[in-house]
Amino acid sequence: MAHLSDGTLRRKFDDADSLTESENRHYSACADCQSRYTTLANDARAVAGALAVPDLKVDVASAFSRVRSAPAAQPRFGIRLPIVRPASRPVMGVLAASFVVLALVVTAVAAGGPFFQPKTVQVVPVSVADLQSLNGLGDFGTLTWTTQPAPQLVTSATEAASVSGLQVPVVTLPSTVSHKVTYAAMPAAVGVFTFDAAKAAATAAKAGKTLPAMPAGMDGSKLTVTVGPAVVEIFGNLNIGAGNGTGTTTAATPDPSQLALPQLVVGESSAPVVTSSGVTTQQLENYLLSLPGVSANLAAAIRAVNDPSTTLPIPIPIEYATSSSVTVQGVGGVAVGDNTGLGAGVIWIKDSTVYGVAGTLKQDVILDIANGLK
Amino acid sequence: MASKAGTRNAVTSNEDSFEALFSAEYGRVAGIANRVLADPHEAEDVAQEVFIDFNRLHSASAPYAAAWLYRAAAHKALNRVRGRRRREKRELSQAMDEGARTMDPQHMLEVSEDRRHVRQALGRLAPKPATVLVLRASGLSYAEVAQALGVGIGQIGTLLRRAEAALRKEVIRGTSL
Repeated sequence: MAHLSDGTLRRKFDDADSLTESENRHYSACADCQSRYTTLANDARAVAGALAVPDLKVDVASAFSRVRSAPAAQPRFGIRLPIVRPASRPVMGVLAASFVVLALVVTAVAAGGPFFQPKTVQVVPVSVADLQSLNGLGDFGTLTWTTQPAPQLVTSATEAASVSGLQVPVVTLPSTVSHKVTYAAMPAAVGVFTFDAAKAAATAAKAGKTLPAMPAGMDGSKLTVTVGPAVVEIFGNLNIGAGNGTGTTTAATPDPSQLALPQLVVGESSAPVVTSSGVTTQQLENYLLSLPGVSANLAAAIRAVNDPSTTLPIPIPIEYATSSSVTVQGVGGVAVGDNTGLGAGVIWIKDSTVYGVAGTLKQDVILDIANGLK
Repeated sequence: MASKAGTRNAVTSNEDSFEALFSAEYGRVAGIANRVLADPHEAEDVAQEVFIDFNRLHSASAPYAAAWLYRAAAHKALNRVRGRRRREKRELSQAMDEGARTMDPQHMLEVSEDRRHVRQALGRLAPKPATVLVLRASGLSYAEVAQALGVGIGQIGTLLRRAEAALRKEVIRGTSL
């Protein structure tokens, strides 16, 4: 019989009866196994001693009361991201960028009539200074969700499809990418943003700024935004601090600094739809682009978008990312990143659906994956 | 109206389940964090954060709830060990308090130093071996450790053996174990 494995011997240390009869016979006659057992038992005892701590006495009732009274994280716009702390800087950057998107969408609405439904994507270069100087969307009014965004982690592609009503893209993975996958899905959400002149003025005054007066009729006017449904497939071990033990669902809200980047993220969402009421969309566009935070360069970049009624603007921070136009699945898309392998992504719209593929891979690989989606 | 009542009942039921889960598992979750941190106050902070995270994302009646909590407690506590500096002063003070009751001054210093070195070494291990050590040392069975890590129960002996050898090697760099 072969020697007993380290694992078997280690288990014997915890449970003397764990060996089978034949293993016991071998062990009794094998000096090598006995010697290895002595070594690992010494290690096990030493480690147990080293990790020993005084008994912990807890007051469960008061601990529960503290947990119950802990304020729930209140993300802006009511969207809770499952694996990122809502107040983290990157998220705020993304939310600031959403303002740029809104401005662009309004531009699109202005040019294209009451509906905005993008059919293609285009880069709008923004600087970090642009993003930092922009007010949050919430400073100009109130967003209420008639259908709350409900992103959720689900256990399988079937469940993701069921939650979203979308067909989950089938991804052909290169050999370097982990097959460990986490699915997230979201049904469509509908929000109504109502402009509020008094709130905008008060927020600006607090910051020592003066805003241009809202055009007549803008106060109280509404934008109705429909986002999703959407599905996301996240490949790789996220090191998110928790798992269910079966490898099917993993999620937590740990420090973002502790998260491992996923190797690959593949997302699919119905293209957003925006309608405007009350004020003319041209007025909204002019107002948003005249705000103090919007630099002349940014306003010019926004106005330079081709055919805004059918273009989804992609804000790209020029200091951190390079972008280029690519063809994906036979349509135009935007690729971000490079071939260093540090990170790259591509986004495109086909048949009124927005697709995105991104990861810590070379751009060539990302494009191959994007073209291979089924 | 009926659906509103149904929703309310569902919310109440989930809250009840969460309270039951908390009562059943809080001590063990805090114990796992304390095993890593050797600091009861910080361990309870970690345990409470873990429950808040869990409650935000999962149903308390999920079959994986306990395994999720155990693993999250170990990971979150290990993350703190990796990032900490400020804890060292408090640890010394705590060891001296314990020592004042039970040990001579020389032993007090040894306890403090050993704990510090061991926690530093634990923080240098890869997440999986560090977690397997912590969970097993916290009294979880092989089956529970396997479920928390999402691996087969047959792998636990091997993982433990490797982790113990690795920890000992790390600790020996700075002090004797």
